[in-house]
Amino acid sequence: MTEVHVIGSILGGSGFPDESLFCKWKIHAGSAWRVLQGDQEGQTQVDSPSHEPTAYWCHPIDLHFATKGLQGWPKIHLQVWHQDSYGRNELYSYGFCHIPVSPGHHELDVVTWRPKGSLAEELKTQFIGGSSQLKNPDLVSSSSELYKLRTISMGKVHLRLHVIVRNFDKYGVEF
Amino acid sequence: MFADFDDLYLRFAYVIGKDWEICAGLDEGTTQIAYKGVDFNPKLVFNFPLECTFKSTSPFGWPQLVLSGYGMDAFGNDVVRGYGTTHIPITPGRHKLRVPLFVPRSSSRFQQFLAWILGRRPEFVDPKVVAHNAGREMTRVRSQGYVNLTFNIVTKDLQSLGFRTESSEGIHPAAHDQQKSYHQLPLGALPENVSQYEDVDRM
Repeated sequence: MTEVHVIGSILGGSGFPDESLFCKWKIHAGSAWRVLQGDQEGQTQVDSPSHEPTAYWCHPIDLHFATKGLQGWPKIHLQVWHQDSYGRNELYSYGFCHIPVSPGHHELDVVTWRPKGSLAEELKTQFIGGSSQLKNPDLVSSSSELYKLRTISMGKVHLRLHVIVRNFDKYGVEF
Repeated sequence: MFADFDDLYLRFAYVIGKDWEICAGLDEGTTQIAYKGVDFNPKLVFNFPLECTFKSTSPFGWPQLVLSGYGMDAFGNDVVRGYGTTHIPITPGRHKLRVPLFVPRSSSRFQQFLAWILGRRPEFVDPKVVAHNAGREMTRVRSQGYVNLTFNIVTKDLQSLGFRTESSEGIHPAAHDQQKSYHQLPLGALPENVSQYEDVDRM
């Protein structure tokens, strides 16, 4: 039985218009993959940095997968949200990243984007707050559906991940 | 928070999964109280040694180092300066990591003022909660400062049990990088030796 461990943390986010941020994350994997241990989704704390332009979350991720194939290698879906001083939450951006396929230590910067609405919707976002959201956030990593969207670039989310694999040598998989 | 502070001491603890145990070394402790030097860019230097050996049957619940920093405020009370956490690196070798620290925020401006006056700032009841996934959604924190850590890691018997922690690029490094050495002994469970040194950069 081949196994993959993903151990690491969502370090923080930078490059966003404002800095009181939190992140919702979820790890998706194909049908051949099964989660043996660990939480597949979560939400970080809300951080507002005092000196740096980066919001730091240091949110731990520890997942143990068992798999029968390489297809559907896990991906992490991220949503960065902003909390203002009144406690209202608004979505800032979406992003996704494949969990690195090679075992070892990886530092990743996940770039993010948000959907762009019509002129009226953009004005509303500026003045009232809130933003356009996707009806189905899982579309973020589907190659066939994204052509319909227009998006605006937002900041980056920094991840620090370690990947451990087990028993892939027996099946001839080379890392 | 209202004034720059120049003294700090750290408490550290390891958070491990239920498949893990600590064979040797301290699992929690406290550093000395460090004051800033008089340099142009003052740092808080700890140079604090950590040594620990872990044993496990599964990589799930890989050890995390949880740090909590405390110092004196202007009124002489011991207050919390920051919490931080990081996973111990999984690959053998020498690693330098920078861990950002954060403090919980008061619920309102008035609470913030009261906390400053009375010296009772918001803190976590159990600092180890920062190493877990659940229950953090409603926490509001402010990040300030960071700690530099250096880890030297040795692992034993990971390869003989079928685990790979490095890709082929990592195992056969370029000719100029000669510092890594791997100690693989044939028998036993999954122990791992760790030795670490800490220093803190400007809080």
